Amino acid sequence: MAKRVQDARPARSKDVQAWVTENIAEQKKRYAAIVKEQDELGPDREKWVAEFLQIVQTKGFNADGDRRVVIKPEQIPKKPKGPHKVIF
Amino acid sequence: MARPHIEPYVELNEPFKKFDIAGFKGSHYKVLSLDVDTGACTLKVRFDGGYKRKPGLSYSDLEVFVLNGTLKVGKQVWTEGHYAFIPAGVALGAVECSKGAEALVMFNDSEPTYVESDRNHQLALTEAYVSVNSYEDRPWGPGNLVSPSVASGCLIKVLHYDPLSEALSFLYCMTPQFAQDNISYHDSAEESYHIWGTSWMMQFGELPTGGYFWRPPYINHGSFRCKYGTIAFGRTDSVLFNYFHYNPWTNPDENKLRAAAKLYRARPQLFDWVASDGHNHPHGPADFQYTDYQDDPQIRMLHGKKVGGGASAGKSAKARKK
Repeated sequence: MAKRVQDARPARSKDVQAWVTENIAEQKKRYAAIVKEQDELGPDREKWVAEFLQIVQTKGFNADGDRRVVIKPEQIPKKPKGPHKVIF
Repeated sequence: MARPHIEPYVELNEPFKKFDIAGFKGSHYKVLSLDVDTGACTLKVRFDGGYKRKPGLSYSDLEVFVLNGTLKVGKQVWTEGHYAFIPAGVALGAVECSKGAEALVMFNDSEPTYVESDRNHQLALTEAYVSVNSYEDRPWGPGNLVSPSVASGCLIKVLHYDPLSEALSFLYCMTPQFAQDNISYHDSAEESYHIWGTSWMMQFGELPTGGYFWRPPYINHGSFRCKYGTIAFGRTDSVLFNYFHYNPWTNPDENKLRAAAKLYRARPQLFDWVASDGHNHPHGPADFQYTDYQDDPQIRMLHGKKVGGGASAGKSAKARKK
């Protein structure tokens, strides 16, 4: 097995472990705030999606670069039940 | 779980924190994203006037993008737009900051590490070192670097390319009135920081100056708009392929299935071979050209494997030489 510099990394000191733990906890809070903010954007997003589905049926969707393909009404996907989740 | 989906995160109004880790004392930081398993992270760092650091190396690959101000690094002067890829174990010259600077600082393999040393680690991949002013020393190219391509008006400057994982680091811009009417996802994680300008995506709304995202693979994004133009720094952790479609409601599992279906259609022999009994080797198949690619830290991280951290604490490069 080839050895890499990364494998020679010393174990984390207590200070560094504390730094990592603290910042993971803060990141969890940021993530929760993002999920909440994005959930609140739901009504706007519904309008944006409706506009997008209109555009792909008229101007077309960008299949590759500037090449557009117009999508027929029967090809438009149906909205599934449940909330539109965008953060995973 | 690696790094969570952080999108969007606008950091400009968030406070800096004092950076009390060896090698960074005298600077302040904000975490933009952090890998909860490895400690790999993207930070915005403010080097205060008077910051000084002796020559040293990191046990992680390190990328730096200077947002503003000036850093003296060894004999070089890094100004706004300077980009550096410093492979793990490469000793960087002494760092001095006389009047203050801000930079994106990215540790790719672990939490921030620094060991004082004026010599490279014996295992350092020194030839991978990159140091360039991205604003002055690289030309803009069209976004059709990959196919299928983004629409006209999205330009790119490639700053770093990893030949094994095909990960990219790049500067990109969207021209005023840029529009792209499709939904995209990738096999790679994608990261971006808006240096200047606001763009819009149908899922997340507006991403302004100081806006950031770390987006894991197979997550829908787009359509896209940019009214007045944007310049941004971006990265992927493996090959960038644009899967375009027009279904706003698909989830990452459905998108991954669609990606696998593409492989099934386009590389049928390979798909069948990999899927057949005994060939889906947990450490990756043999590659006669890159015989030890499985040991590459970036490849291991992509597969959720452990990287480093096992030796005794506090052992410096100097101590190891003795």
